[in-house]
Amino acid sequence: MNDAIQDEIIKEFDGLEWFDKYGLLISFAKELEPMDEEFKTEDNSISGCQSKVWIRSYNKDGKLIFDLDSDAMITKGIIALVAKVVNNRAPQEILNADLYFIDKIGLKSNLSPARSNGLESIISRIKEVAEKEASQIN
Amino acid sequence: MTDFAKDFPILAQKVYGKRLVYLDNAATTQKPDSVIDTISEFYRTDYSNIHRGVHYLSEVSSERYEEARKKVSDFIGARNPSEVTFTSGTTGSINQVARSLGSSLRGNEVLVTGVEHHSNIVPWQLAGAKVKAIPMDDDCNLLIDSMEITNKTKLIAIAHVSNVLGSVNEIKEITEIAKDHDIPVLVDAAQSIQHLPLDVKDIDCDFLAFSGHKMYASTGVGVLYTSDRFSDIMPAIGGGGMVDKVSLEKTTYLDPPLRFEAGTPDIAGAISIGAAIDHMQKIGMDKIKKHEHDVHSYARDKLLEMDIVTVYGNTNEMCGAVSFNLDNIHHYDTGLILDKMGVAVRTGHHCAQPLMRFLGVEGTVRASFALYNTKEDVDMLVEGINKVEMMYK
Repeated sequence: MNDAIQDEIIKEFDGLEWFDKYGLLISFAKELEPMDEEFKTEDNSISGCQSKVWIRSYNKDGKLIFDLDSDAMITKGIIALVAKVVNNRAPQEILNADLYFIDKIGLKSNLSPARSNGLESIISRIKEVAEKEASQIN
Repeated sequence: MTDFAKDFPILAQKVYGKRLVYLDNAATTQKPDSVIDTISEFYRTDYSNIHRGVHYLSEVSSERYEEARKKVSDFIGARNPSEVTFTSGTTGSINQVARSLGSSLRGNEVLVTGVEHHSNIVPWQLAGAKVKAIPMDDDCNLLIDSMEITNKTKLIAIAHVSNVLGSVNEIKEITEIAKDHDIPVLVDAAQSIQHLPLDVKDIDCDFLAFSGHKMYASTGVGVLYTSDRFSDIMPAIGGGGMVDKVSLEKTTYLDPPLRFEAGTPDIAGAISIGAAIDHMQKIGMDKIKKHEHDVHSYARDKLLEMDIVTVYGNTNEMCGAVSFNLDNIHHYDTGLILDKMGVAVRTGHHCAQPLMRFLGVEGTVRASFALYNTKEDVDMLVEGINKVEMMYK
């Protein structure tokens, strides 16, 4: 499944050197709306040893919205991209989504299970939420 | 590249098109040709199981294994090779002591420092002991005068050198006090064995633990020195190769060190430690200490000069690691950029969460040095930090 948002992200990263890739991630991080401190709770955090990630979600007219934040910039940049891709979609659509952009923009190493707090645990958390929401609809 | 670095083939490579600057030596050190060749030759010509067979290769293997034990024994100044047990590493060594002393520790206290690696905290807790820390000042100097020994203190277990700060703890002062109270002392030498000349008779400790892989030898093997005074303690792990007579009613054990080495050990690993010791001794531990001290001091000075950098810890003697953070930049973000500059550092809590809490940080960036590092490596680190600052400005 191809989608316009992922393709747009891939286009933006295409041909960039690592320096510019990270620069771009940092600018996405800066654009991401920071999460209110009150929501940065233990329950909302995905724990790991490298950087902290907080995640909360809500359903708005049948579409899921994910609010994500991190204390590290690069992580924040990556989750800003994930949020762009998964937000405002129906739960089933998120469940079916293949986040192919991560591999295409050369951030796959951030997915490795060895990087605790890597994207893998964030994505599985997003899918869990989507699955729960989808089962409530059905 | 220095003459020292030339012996380490992995260091000749480039990463991301840049010269590799390997500054993650507190996690593990790279291996010199002599160690790699020794392991390979051993499997090619001498390998067999040890202490069991009547055949030629078993004899050769056993001899080489015991020769490695003798080298370790001489290297750390033990009175007798029987005081040297091969283990799986520092963590394995400490757990072995914790399990062996188990009953005496349960419900009692083990005194540690505030800079310990989790592997010198968790085994004591698992053995049922309460872990207490010797206080330290803001620079992480131990306040030995304020050390509280009670009748519940059954062991003092201290890092010789902090894996995070590179601070050298004054272990001799501690063993002297411990002696007055007749309390055994375990020294975690994981971060000192590769940097400083070390003598267990001089330190006067009862146990000393270190890993092969942090001293240029292979992974999965380490050493536990146990003073003869404790040679009658019970083995922590049972199995083959460590028994005298076994019946279903009662088993009697061999004398140390074989008593503590149940099952087939990491034979090639032990022999690699011997080769690593040869390598270090060929250069000379005093020379290694001096060279590393020059590089380490240069790194601290350079980092302290940078406005954006906060360096943690400042003790009389330091070696190995330097930990720091950049103002308002997450350690993980720093590490990622340094990596792309070819500079390998470690970021995070370094398995020392109590110390992180003491410092009031989530984690640090750690640059840690070995004998092959140079001032040029430090310059590359500094250049990397400037790049990091520029990226996140």
